[in-house]
Amino acid sequence: MTRQEAFDILDQAVTATAAESVVATLGGSSLLSCRLADNVATQCVRRADASLSISCAYGQSHGSAVTNRLSPEGIATAARRAAEAARLAPPDTEFMPPLPAREASQYADIEAWSDATARRDPTEIAAELEEAVGVVAAAGCRLSGAWSGRGTFHACANSNGLRAYHRATEAAFRATVLTEGSSGWAQETATAAGDVVPARVAREALRIARDARAPTEMAPGRYTVILSPAAVAEMLPWHLVCDAKATAEGRTFLRGKLGTMVCAPSVSVRSDPTDPRCPASPFVGGGLAAAPVHWVRNGVLENLWRSRYWAAKTGTEPSRGPTNLILDGGSASLEDLVASTERGILVTRFWYIRFVDPMTCLLTGMTRDGLFLVENGRITRPLRHMRFNERVLTALSNVEALGQPQRIGGSLVPALKIREFTFSSTTTF
Amino acid sequence: MKDICLDAIAAAHGRGVTYADARAVCIRTQGLHTEDERVSSLADTESVGIGIRVLLDGAWGFAATSDLSREAVTATARQALAIAGANRALRRPEGVAWCPEPAHREVFRTPMATDPFTVPLETKLDLLLRVNGAVLAVGGVRKCHSHMQFERRHRFLANTDGSVIETETVTSTARYTATAVNEEGAKTRTFEATGATRGYEHIEGTPLLEEAPRVGAEAVEQLSAKPCPVGEMDLILNPSHLALTMHESIGHATELDRVLGMEESLAGSSFATIDQLGSLVYGSPLMTITCDNTLPGGLATLGFDDDGVPGQRWDLIRSGILVDYQTDRETCRAIGASRSHGSCRADSWASVPIIRQSNFGLAPGSVSLTPDELVADTERGILIDGMGSFSIDQKRQNFQFGGDCFWEIRNGRIAGMLKDVTYQALTTRFWGALDAVCDKRFWQSVGVMNCGKGDPGQTARMSHSSAPCRFRGIRVGGAR
Repeated sequence: MTRQEAFDILDQAVTATAAESVVATLGGSSLLSCRLADNVATQCVRRADASLSISCAYGQSHGSAVTNRLSPEGIATAARRAAEAARLAPPDTEFMPPLPAREASQYADIEAWSDATARRDPTEIAAELEEAVGVVAAAGCRLSGAWSGRGTFHACANSNGLRAYHRATEAAFRATVLTEGSSGWAQETATAAGDVVPARVAREALRIARDARAPTEMAPGRYTVILSPAAVAEMLPWHLVCDAKATAEGRTFLRGKLGTMVCAPSVSVRSDPTDPRCPASPFVGGGLAAAPVHWVRNGVLENLWRSRYWAAKTGTEPSRGPTNLILDGGSASLEDLVASTERGILVTRFWYIRFVDPMTCLLTGMTRDGLFLVENGRITRPLRHMRFNERVLTALSNVEALGQPQRIGGSLVPALKIREFTFSSTTTF
Repeated sequence: MKDICLDAIAAAHGRGVTYADARAVCIRTQGLHTEDERVSSLADTESVGIGIRVLLDGAWGFAATSDLSREAVTATARQALAIAGANRALRRPEGVAWCPEPAHREVFRTPMATDPFTVPLETKLDLLLRVNGAVLAVGGVRKCHSHMQFERRHRFLANTDGSVIETETVTSTARYTATAVNEEGAKTRTFEATGATRGYEHIEGTPLLEEAPRVGAEAVEQLSAKPCPVGEMDLILNPSHLALTMHESIGHATELDRVLGMEESLAGSSFATIDQLGSLVYGSPLMTITCDNTLPGGLATLGFDDDGVPGQRWDLIRSGILVDYQTDRETCRAIGASRSHGSCRADSWASVPIIRQSNFGLAPGSVSLTPDELVADTERGILIDGMGSFSIDQKRQNFQFGGDCFWEIRNGRIAGMLKDVTYQALTTRFWGALDAVCDKRFWQSVGVMNCGKGDPGQTARMSHSSAPCRFRGIRVGGAR
């Protein structure tokens, strides 16, 4: 949806009721995806949708309605439902009025759109996937995975005259290659579809799968680990963005830690929507201008996420993020990290990570798609997969080296070498 | 919407098309969220659209749109055909063994006493805020979050079999969490009217307010509870807890698409391969698992699945032996079945239908056994209630679970509360350790509201039932 089309709908929403204040947001996407299993296409999808959210308020009482019926009647119905809910709701002591129109002057100009991605044709994708399947099938292996190309937009308007619009594309291919008794995995994500090459991804997953054949069991315990960027993205940085109010109430693992050293000095975690390596939206909820923010700088916890309400209550500024998550890295390659390790375990990726104890940020999860023993700077043998139980702050305090950052979805993270990482059990493969 | 579906089928049905379906869905939800004495969110959500699926020369195509005009629906049908056509080179060489199904022309509606959308918002908010007040009245409790959610899902499905099916299902749930805080940390305790395809009577029939003082007190008690011991212990698991363990270690492992490798790239596969059908010892002889998509109130009780197959009841595991799978029309012939079990569902009009877990349950014990008698018969163990941390490998073998609240059992008596309990096992080892199941008087269904699967990701709902059970000699305390 174009900027003007989005604003036309939002204007109808904002003016549809007699509510004292209105915030309307409109977001949508157009998706083309193709999923593979065992070298064949199994689910190929094209879909488009857009959803309008209208939040009405009378004083501090508010209610909202969401609809994807964007006709004048659909908009009017949603607005009426939102207004009715607002009239019935008791006053909310944490309600914040809509932002002023001048907030829009702070929006950064961020280019995150590729026409080539948005206009991708199913036949182009099928040809690229056929090539990727050919690479894997020629090796007698099986390729599963998914190609996806997505164009998204989101827009916002309110009864103070604020208007915001942003659009972005993302292309990605994730590949799992299976041999008899092993698997390997790789992915690429980019704004432009041409920067994602399925055959290249398939070759990398194939290499890992072959190296992972005939794994042997390793006793659970504490080991130095080298986490690939995908493993880091799955496990680490997002947990460091905690809500300031919940933290002040003693309900998060970061309570009492603001301004203190929580990670190794080499660790800095931040958001920056303008970083061209993983661009993000120039505004966040309700139209608040996004801006670069450090969550952890040189190991010190510098920021918690502050809502507009909590910022006003505590006399601080609201958080202008998170938009993306960036863990700053170094210049070492994954191979350099392996070469510098006397004895350790190389992790391709993690799977099914969950909190065990949110109050200490103790996480558990499994390794997946390639686990390797490193001895004297070389990969010496594949291992059966293991379950870890580890605290995020412990892991990030034990960082010994950082690799080059790589885009994984909405994150930009490096490989990490971490000492004394806790594995508690093994599985059967 | 029925006519729109028929138009879509007409547009999608052409040369080389062996099957097509069109599914028009309108989903309306109402969500109420509170925090302490304030209403943090009141939201009404509506999503309408149509998804069209075609099987053209052995290749699948799917396209979906929220524009229900005749022109847009016809264009969407053509998109589905174009996608299928583009993927001919990547189709399965042997083709899709699509299983026949008779044409159905039926209407199914969730039976209910009170439509939750007709209950005034004030009534619902009043109950939530009174619950919060009762929880916060307990000394040591610092926070209470509560919410209710209701959904009405109106679906028309038409396919080239000649089926025209209309369903209208209503789901109701309510839940609250008390948080106690002291200098050392914070602990939570949750109570819920577990998700069910029932009306507002489901909320009214659950003692949400009556249980609030106990729930708050148990959150506070956890703060000073003893930590989880380390070693092997007997576990007594309540239905509110076992539902999730069954879901992860049985439900996902017996979805036939996973077993056949069709979910390998994301959710993973299964150790329960089809060469072991009829011989795999999944658990102890006490373990009989029955799927039932006709279960009154079950979250997967929808009349028909999205392949147009009616809800059914069948055994998955009988006396500890794997005897069947959860199937759809694409996969069931791989195990020699002549009909799908009807386990194929999409989470919205915009999603491709895939195999999703059915309602299923562990059969209750055949001899009289109460939970108190089970505790009295246990020398050293842990009683676990409610859901907590959960994680399992991609073949559904190595798992680790937590819970919501835990009590130590010593010499047949409850000996106080424990905290931070986790247990670890391999699936068949765990189910092989099942040695007692309480009888049918204590058999309960628990709704799972947010099961994730698929790529693009989808969520699904289903119910899992059991009575309290005991598992002997399970490793606890491995997560530190």
